[in-house]
Amino acid sequence: MRHFAGILLSLPLAMMLMGLLAAAVPAPWQSWLVLQLVLGVVVWMLLSLLVALPEKAWLPVTALLVANLAAWLALQTTSLYGGGA
Amino acid sequence: MKPDRLRRYIDLHAWLGMVSGLALFVAFFAGAINVFHHELHHWQEPYHGEEAVPPGGMDRLLTLVTNQHPDARERLFLLPDEHDPGVMWFESGEEGGEWLTAHASDFNEAGVREEQPRSGLADFINQLHYQLAIPSGGLPVNIGMTLMGLISVIYGAALFSGLIIHWSKIRKEFFALKHEGNLRRYWKNLHNVIGVISFPFHLIMSVTGAAMGMFTVVAILLGVLVFGPQLRAVIEEETAVWPAVESQDESVAMAPMADYLSAARHELPDMRIDWVEIRGYGDAAGWLDVAGSLPGYIGHHVHVVLDPTMAPLKVIEPGARSFNFDALSPVYALHFGDYGGLGVKLLYFAMGLLGSLLFVSGNILWCERRSDRIGPGRSSAFLLRLTLGLCFGVVIGIAFSFLASKVLPHTPWAALVATAERVVFAAILLVLTVWSLRASPLRFSGLMTRLAPLTYLAVPAVQIGLEGSHAWREPDNLLINLVLLAVAGSLWVVRRQFRKRVRQAEPHPLWVGKVSQEHPKHLTETEIDNAASLPD
Repeated sequence: MRHFAGILLSLPLAMMLMGLLAAAVPAPWQSWLVLQLVLGVVVWMLLSLLVALPEKAWLPVTALLVANLAAWLALQTTSLYGGGA
Repeated sequence: MKPDRLRRYIDLHAWLGMVSGLALFVAFFAGAINVFHHELHHWQEPYHGEEAVPPGGMDRLLTLVTNQHPDARERLFLLPDEHDPGVMWFESGEEGGEWLTAHASDFNEAGVREEQPRSGLADFINQLHYQLAIPSGGLPVNIGMTLMGLISVIYGAALFSGLIIHWSKIRKEFFALKHEGNLRRYWKNLHNVIGVISFPFHLIMSVTGAAMGMFTVVAILLGVLVFGPQLRAVIEEETAVWPAVESQDESVAMAPMADYLSAARHELPDMRIDWVEIRGYGDAAGWLDVAGSLPGYIGHHVHVVLDPTMAPLKVIEPGARSFNFDALSPVYALHFGDYGGLGVKLLYFAMGLLGSLLFVSGNILWCERRSDRIGPGRSSAFLLRLTLGLCFGVVIGIAFSFLASKVLPHTPWAALVATAERVVFAAILLVLTVWSLRASPLRFSGLMTRLAPLTYLAVPAVQIGLEGSHAWREPDNLLINLVLLAVAGSLWVVRRQFRKRVRQAEPHPLWVGKVSQEHPKHLTETEIDNAASLPD
């Protein structure tokens, strides 16, 4: 069950990390959308693996929740949502 | 690596593999055959002797369909074929509508459509591969495809964990397919060798499979969390070959389709045409996208967009396309293996079959290991039997679908062929799964490994019996029949190896249906290695 929770919570984090990368790269995000999708999937796989390793179940789930919140807050500082490049 | 950390990686690898293994077995076995999807479409057509080519070809078909179905004028896909071209369009209806197909041979001399019974075998195998043949049920998200996308992500995580486990001893394990006293070691070595040899292939499959399967979910999340509602329009803009038609209600006479294809070849002389998308048929503002392949590139997909007067609007080819097209084309090509001719296709076919064996052996290992570690139990026995029942059910079920596809068109029940292909598969799968749950795994496997190659041998034999030399004179028929014989040969090798191991070694108690406290616990090889390396 904790593995499934880890896999599900890793998905939004992977996508938001891609968003942060898109904000950092000096190129229009629209121009490399497919690469973001593919990289996002690879990051999702690696995150799913990483969060399944600790022995204590609460640790990775808490870490994922905090990381999701932090990534979401960081995204608010960018102009990506509804904006341009 | 510390033993406890290695143990956690092994546990995780086993759990991830067990969760995704059965679905991946179905996807890989069906996918191995689906590598020859195009050829299978030709193979499945029944042969009743030399038949006249339908008159008028592509142009008559387009005229008839667009006259009888106004929706087809808006957007239509044409599959050019010398003998029997086909079209596909979306027909709107009160409940949302559906995609329809028609072939030139469906229309009689008066232009009236008389739908012919057609096999759906190639499409069924394809659906089995990418969505486990789970019906989408009109939902906005394709449940089966999304499930396979999720399975691909788990599979990718299992691959990375497997790489970490085996990285330090890859060289040692590369030629380690040997038998040392028990059946379990054989499965373990087989699993490791296949996994190590085909790791790059599996990495490609997991990433591209996850990207395609989870596309809708990922796009929704990116839209909600990162880019906002604008994302949908951006995706359409970045993946469309030309903007949507803005009709001025000005009609135009369409040129013969052969001329459009010729105009496309004029732009890209080496192009192999796969299909044509027509937007706004007969509308002066409409356009045609002649889509195909350019040999010599992994990202081989090319498009020539023409206006109704055959003037080129845009050419999308390697070196002259957006970065998004440059990234998207290899994703498809690497997954489907259609970028390097027959040699690459055969390699993908072999890797697909080996992948199936990888997942079966992984599941068997998991069951035996669980039984050894926590003692005999019903769950391990159940999972082993379920694995065997489902895997043999899929393998033999597909063979019976092939048989139904070839036999039924020559009987009075020809109209039921597409349904029968699916029903017979489901019935075989159900019967063998139930049987497996009740039988001794060793006896069940012995019987099924004998039956499975025979079913695949039977398919070409039945076609030869019904259609004579057509079974080998037509190149696509010959190829598919050789593929089926290769599957039969592979299954025979599995049977031979299985029997050899059973003769040489005492099987694990799970295999003979003896799950009791009398049987001792075993340690896995890794656990033995780790125990030896620990200080006293």
